[in-house]
Amino acid sequence: MKASRDAFCPKSRLTFLFSPAQIIFMHEFTLPIGPQHPALAEPIHFRLKVDGETVVDAEMHLGYNHRGIEKSLESRQWFKGVFLSGRICGICSQSHTATYSQGIERLANVTVPERGKYARTIFAELERIHSHMLLLAVAGHTIGFDTAFHYIWRDREYALEIMELLSGKRIQHDFNTIGGVRWDISEDQIHKINQNLDRIEQRAKHYYKIFTKDRSIRKRMKGVGVLSRKDAEEFGVVGPIARASGLRSDLRTSGYSAYSHIDFKPVLGSEGDCMERFLVRLKELRSSVKIIRDCLANLPAGDYKAKLPLVINVDKGKEATSRIEAPRGELIYYLKSNGLTPERVKVRTPTFANFSCVGKILQGTQVADAPITVASLDPCIACCDRMAVLDVNTGKEKILDHHELDHLFGKEHHHD
Amino acid sequence: MINEIFFLLVFPGLLAAAFFGLLYEGIARKITARMQSRVGPPVWQPFFDWVKLMSKENITPRNGVGFVMTLCPVIAFASVLSAVVFIPVTGYSPASFSGNMLVVIYLLVIYTLSFAVAGWASGSPLGSVGSIRELTLLLSYEFPFIVSLLTVGFMTGFTVSPFFALRLPLAFFAFLVSVIGSLSLPPFHVPDAEQEIVGGPLAEYSGPRLGMFSLAKAVKFWVLISLGTVMFLGGGTIEWFLIKSLALVILVSVAKTVFARLRIDQTFRLFWLVIGPLALIDLIRVMFGLV
Repeated sequence: MKASRDAFCPKSRLTFLFSPAQIIFMHEFTLPIGPQHPALAEPIHFRLKVDGETVVDAEMHLGYNHRGIEKSLESRQWFKGVFLSGRICGICSQSHTATYSQGIERLANVTVPERGKYARTIFAELERIHSHMLLLAVAGHTIGFDTAFHYIWRDREYALEIMELLSGKRIQHDFNTIGGVRWDISEDQIHKINQNLDRIEQRAKHYYKIFTKDRSIRKRMKGVGVLSRKDAEEFGVVGPIARASGLRSDLRTSGYSAYSHIDFKPVLGSEGDCMERFLVRLKELRSSVKIIRDCLANLPAGDYKAKLPLVINVDKGKEATSRIEAPRGELIYYLKSNGLTPERVKVRTPTFANFSCVGKILQGTQVADAPITVASLDPCIACCDRMAVLDVNTGKEKILDHHELDHLFGKEHHHD
Repeated sequence: MINEIFFLLVFPGLLAAAFFGLLYEGIARKITARMQSRVGPPVWQPFFDWVKLMSKENITPRNGVGFVMTLCPVIAFASVLSAVVFIPVTGYSPASFSGNMLVVIYLLVIYTLSFAVAGWASGSPLGSVGSIRELTLLLSYEFPFIVSLLTVGFMTGFTVSPFFALRLPLAFFAFLVSVIGSLSLPPFHVPDAEQEIVGGPLAEYSGPRLGMFSLAKAVKFWVLISLGTVMFLGGGTIEWFLIKSLALVILVSVAKTVFARLRIDQTFRLFWLVIGPLALIDLIRVMFGLV
């Protein structure tokens, strides 16, 4: 590593004259992307081993933004924990609170009223819309198409407006609570929601046309970062990335919340390249609008949340897992009860599952294609940060297992 | 004598070129912003930026070569400023001589070369990649750029002098596209792709050095726009000149808005296989007197 850097950054004044020749005849060098980089909204570090303009190998380093939320959840009572879980990710806060609440409901045997389930479904799909539009805008920016970025970002406001209408907040909604949702949906709101949904649908159609017809977009995305169906299966990717490769991976078909009452088909692609991943998301915008419309039309009357005591006591040692299809894919919470608080909460975010394939899809691409290839995975870095122990003497990184943690920290485990 | 000094230093020399360059850049930015449905900076923003940059300090990275980093912006600015002298903005240029069009082409190449050297001198891998791309881009757009200028050159005796090129639409088109490439604006902003290589050759630049580069960039914008106005749109009196050049600025801004960035290999292929041959068609027509 050090040698290749020196070749690029000559120290003496004379050697700089040779650097063009060095670059042309040098076989490989390492191009760092991040932890601070204009194309990255969050700190993550990629090391691209580059031969000319071709990426030979890619390494990824996590751990710049570790916040210890799983550990903090263990010291909070069940109701309070829901608010904290939403802070894991700013974009999919609805998915996190919903998954955590659903897990607690399984632990405490709470039944969510039908109206609450429908409200959760509506909100989850709104979140999918705003998350996908955010990514599509970023994709435009990443390939240097700033006009697409500004337009899609502007139209994303329609989804945010609805969310603000329902919860009073644009980003951190805290819409879910154990046993349902925190606010009801009124008739006036339904009218306004339908108006905005029409606009979103119209714009989604327009952007679908742009992404399929525009030659400069097609040139940059078609056939870039291909993940075959077989590889997608092997790497265990989830969400739109798996669906773009033709894997039928959509948890919504399992029918949690109100999805069992709603007629919907997962959007499937076949190509598995960057283009297909964005097209899958563009199609999902329209399918999400349809799901929300169905939910609003069939919204059952009654309570929107179950009546529960403020302090929930769950039997010690009881375990539950809760899974939801977040905008980026399958989100898993594992919960173990310690009575009034969780004993352990383990979160597996979709980005963490999807990152396994980064090395594979970056190999053989051009340096210019690396940002769009990474962006097509829709990485949410804050969601998936893990702690690693770095040996300063050897420079080696290591993820510790359970026993080693015990050994290092005594009983105090330091989890994600 | 006084006239010549005025010509060199005030109009259309140093002061006017810098003023109009920065102003046109501001106008282009504003037009782009409005088309992208945002408010955009005020038209005077490039002036403010320049003043601020000139009052800041220069930072030389540990691996950078200080004197080359200082020299490059000066050379870049000097080369484009020399090119200004040859363009008869008001229909007259005291430096005019037969065949000065070729000098203008050379001076513009010097500008790009100093950009590339600047990237290498800054000692950053991102700057180096940017420099390679800058040179590759030069190799790409230079072909249609020279061919389209030669086409008009056959009519004007290779001198920069007013010519109305309505009969040479292909050459005019090729010229416009290569101007966009030469200014490294979208879709050809490969050398300074901020998402990939963080601004390319200028990634490590700051303060007056960056200020000089940004001024050189603005003057180059003015040079290319006025070159197009004179050689293809016929120049004219100062009012007509400004109107025609503003029309070109609008055309460039529209192109800047509606495309995504191409990759460097795609750029190269586009210029050599599509734009270049288009310009060649008009050149052949002119050479055989078919116009």
